[in-house]
Amino acid sequence: MTRHTHIVKVHHLSLAFPTRHDPDPKPVLKDLDFGIRDGEILGLIGNSGSGKTMTAMAIAGLLPEGAVITGGSIKFAGEDLTAMKPRRRRQMLGSNIGVIFQEPSTALDPLMKIGTNLDEILLTHGMKDKKERRERVLNMLGTCGFTEPEEIYSRYPHQLSGGQRQRVLIAGAALLEPRLLICDEPTSSLDTVTTIQILSLLKDICHKMHMTVLFISHDLSAVRNFCDRVMVMREGEIVDRDLAEDMLLHPRSGYTAELLTNARLDTRMLGLERATVDYSASPVLVAKDITARYDNSSADVLKGTCFEIYPREILGLIGSSGCGKTTLVKSLLGLMPHGGTIDCDNRQTGAVFQDPVSCLNPAHSVEWHLLEPLRAAGVKLNKQERINRATQALQDVGLSADYLSRRPRQLSGGQRQRIAIAMSLMLEPSLIVADEPFSSLDSSSAAEILKLLTDINRERGTSFLLITHNIHIVRQICPRVIVMDGGTVCEEGLTSEVLAAPKSDAARRLLEAEATLHGENFSE
Amino acid sequence: MSLNAKQNLKYAGLKLIELIATLFVVSFLTFAAFSIIPGDTAQIILGPNATPAQLDRLRAELGIDQPLPVRYITWVAGAFTGNLGNSTSFKVPVIDLIAQRLPVTLGMSILALVMVIVVSYPLSVFSARRPGHLGDTVCSILGHVLFAVPPFVLSLLLIVLCSGVLHIFTMGKYAPPEKGFGNYIASLALPAFAIALPKIAMTFKFMRSAIIEQNASEYVKTERSHGLSEARILLRHVLPNSNVSSITIITLVLSDILGGSLIVEQVFNLPGLGRLLLTAIDRRDFPLLSGMIFYLALITVILYFASDILSSLSDPRIRIK
Repeated sequence: MTRHTHIVKVHHLSLAFPTRHDPDPKPVLKDLDFGIRDGEILGLIGNSGSGKTMTAMAIAGLLPEGAVITGGSIKFAGEDLTAMKPRRRRQMLGSNIGVIFQEPSTALDPLMKIGTNLDEILLTHGMKDKKERRERVLNMLGTCGFTEPEEIYSRYPHQLSGGQRQRVLIAGAALLEPRLLICDEPTSSLDTVTTIQILSLLKDICHKMHMTVLFISHDLSAVRNFCDRVMVMREGEIVDRDLAEDMLLHPRSGYTAELLTNARLDTRMLGLERATVDYSASPVLVAKDITARYDNSSADVLKGTCFEIYPREILGLIGSSGCGKTTLVKSLLGLMPHGGTIDCDNRQTGAVFQDPVSCLNPAHSVEWHLLEPLRAAGVKLNKQERINRATQALQDVGLSADYLSRRPRQLSGGQRQRIAIAMSLMLEPSLIVADEPFSSLDSSSAAEILKLLTDINRERGTSFLLITHNIHIVRQICPRVIVMDGGTVCEEGLTSEVLAAPKSDAARRLLEAEATLHGENFSE
Repeated sequence: MSLNAKQNLKYAGLKLIELIATLFVVSFLTFAAFSIIPGDTAQIILGPNATPAQLDRLRAELGIDQPLPVRYITWVAGAFTGNLGNSTSFKVPVIDLIAQRLPVTLGMSILALVMVIVVSYPLSVFSARRPGHLGDTVCSILGHVLFAVPPFVLSLLLIVLCSGVLHIFTMGKYAPPEKGFGNYIASLALPAFAIALPKIAMTFKFMRSAIIEQNASEYVKTERSHGLSEARILLRHVLPNSNVSSITIITLVLSDILGGSLIVEQVFNLPGLGRLLLTAIDRRDFPLLSGMIFYLALITVILYFASDILSSLSDPRIRIK
C-alpha cells in the first residue's frame, strides 16, 4: 500500500448547533475521520442535509453562526485549524484555502466592478503595488478562459452570464494559488453546456497550479467524471469511500446503491410508468408563431415559436440557458404579453417552477396555499369542504393531512415541491407546465417528484410540458421532445429519434455536453 | 467605462425631464387651487366698505382682472424667475419674505438630518452585528418608543427639560447666521433634535434590517472566503449595498423633516417658514401662500431628483433602462 501525504486530515470531527434550551443536541457531523491527499480531487456526495456543506465549511472556517465543533480536530498541512486564532485563520482563507459557492448569481457584490472586487483580494493579502495587482488579476481572468480580460475587469456582475460569473468566482478563489480549493456545488445552477466548461476549467487550473480540490455535489455523474476519489455522506456520517470509478460500478453500502439508482433515474427501477398518448386526438395546446420581448430590450426573445401538446402527453423541452425557455413559459401562462396565438383547452393550465423555496409564501400555512387556486377561481366552499379538498390534494401528492397547518419553512425542498404540484392540481388542469422542477432538488427528492409527475400523468391523464436540462429524464419519460435555440423551435420529433440522430446544431451541442458529463454509464 | 458614463448621462437627462414636467403640474395645481377658492381677493383686502372703483383699481393692480390663462402664464413666468408679486398682508415681495425665513427652516432641517445620520448609522451597525442580543433589544425598544411619540410632544418635553430644569437653552431666542455661526447652530439645536428623534428611530429600524439582510447574503460569504476582515466587508460591501435602499428612506425622512419643522417652529416660537405659512393662511394672503406652496413643492421635487441621481450613481443596475 502506498502512503499519501495528506494536505487535510480531519480527525474524529463532530459538530452541532447547541442552544440554551438544548445544550446537547443531535450532532450535524458525527465523528468524521478522513484525509484529503495532496493533489487529488476528492468528491463528496450525499443528499441535502447530509452534512456535506458543513464539513466543507468546517475546513474553510466559514461555519454559520451557532455551529460549534464539539470534538476532534482538522489539520491543514500539519497545523490544527480548530485551535488557530481567528486572525491567522482568516489569513489562510484566500491564500491557502479557496472556496467556490453554488449560486454565482448572488455571490458577487452587485455594486462592485469585477476588477475592483478581485483587486481587493490581493490588497487584503498584502500586495501593495497597484500595477502588479492589476496585472495579476488580468492574468488570472485570462487563465479562467476570458478572451478579453480588460473588458471583464471593468464590468459589473449583472452584465455577466451565470457561467461567466462562476468563472470570475473561480478566478477569485484561485487568485493567490491556494493549496486547497473547496467547491460547494459549483455547477448545480448551471446548464449542461456551461457545467462542462466550468468543470474542464477547474480541472485545468488545478492541474496547472497543483491545487487539491474538495468537490461537493449531488450530481453523481459530474463527480464520477471529475474526481479521483469519492466519499458518500448520510446524516452527518461517511457511509462509503472509494475510488470514483470503483464506487459507481460496485457501490459498497446499500445507501450508495440507492443514491446511484435515483441518480440514474432508471424507469424500471423506480417503477415509473407514463400514460400512452393518442396522437390522433386534437391537441390540448397549440402555440403558433409566439413572439415576445422584454420592455427594456429591442430584440425579440421568442421569434415565432410553434408547437403543440397532445392529451396525456409529456412533452420534453430542452435547450441551453438563454434560448427562451423561461420566456416561453411566461407567455404560455399569460404572465407576459406576447404575439402569435395560443389555443388552449379552456380549463386552466397549471404550473410548477424550479425553486420551491421562493414559490411559497412564508407567512401562510400549507392549507392556505392549497386553497389559493380555488379562491382565485372564485370557488365558494364551506369550512368542512375546504378541509376535505385540501386533505385530498395532500394525499394526491403523497403527504398526510398533518401537513395542513405547517408553514413552508417546516418543509423540506422535496415536500415544498409536492405542495407546489398539489396547488397546480387543485383546478384539475388538462396541462401542467413544469419549468425545471427537479433542478433545485437532490437526486433522491428528484426521483420522488419524477415518480409523482408520471403517476399524475398516468392516473389523471394530465399533459405536461416538461422543461429540463436533464436529457436523461427526457429520454426516460418524454415520448416526444422539442429543442429550442435562439427563440425558436429548431428541432421536434420522437425523443428516441432526436436523441439518436440530432439534426440541429443546438441539439447536437446539448447531446455532446450530456455525453461528456454523464458518460456511457447512464445511457441505456 | 464610456458605456457606464453614457448610461449615467442618459438616466440623469430622463430624470431632469421628469423633474420639469412635475414642476409644471405642481404649478398648475397650485394656481388652480387658488383660482377655484371662492371669494374676491380684492374684497378681502379692502374690507366690506370698499367702493366698486377702489375694487377695480386693486384688481387691476393685482392682475386678477385678466383672463385665467393669461394670469397662469404670468404667474408661472414669475414663479420660475423668482418674482411672485407682493404679499397682500406684509406689503413686501413674497420672495423677500421667503428668503428672510429660509435660514431658520433650512438650517434646522439640515441640522436634524445630520443628527439622524450621525446617530442612526452607528447604532444600526451596532445592533445588526448581533441581532437579538441585549444591546440590540434595548435599541429596538427605545426606537419603537421614540417612533411613536409625535414631535410636538417631544418638543414640549425637551423644552421643560433643557430650559426649565437644566437651563441650557433659552426659548424663542433665534440668532441669525450673520451674528455668529455658533450661536445660530446653538439656537436651532434643540428644535432640530426634537424633529430628529423620531426620524432617528425610523432610519435606525430601516438600516438595521437592511444591514442584517446584506450580512446574510451570498456575496458576503464569498468575501469572507477571500479572507477579508469583518470591518472591511462592512465598510466596502455591506454598507454601500445597504445605502442603495437607505437613500430612498433618507429622502423620505428629509421631506418629513421639512414638514415636521412647520409644527416644531410653532412650539419653539421660531421665525421660520412654518410660521410664515400659518400667518399667510390666517390672513388669506394668497400671493404669499401660493408662492410658498410652489417653493416647498420645488424643494421636495428637487430632493427626489437628487435621490434618484444618487441611487443611480450608487447602484449600476438602476441605470439600465
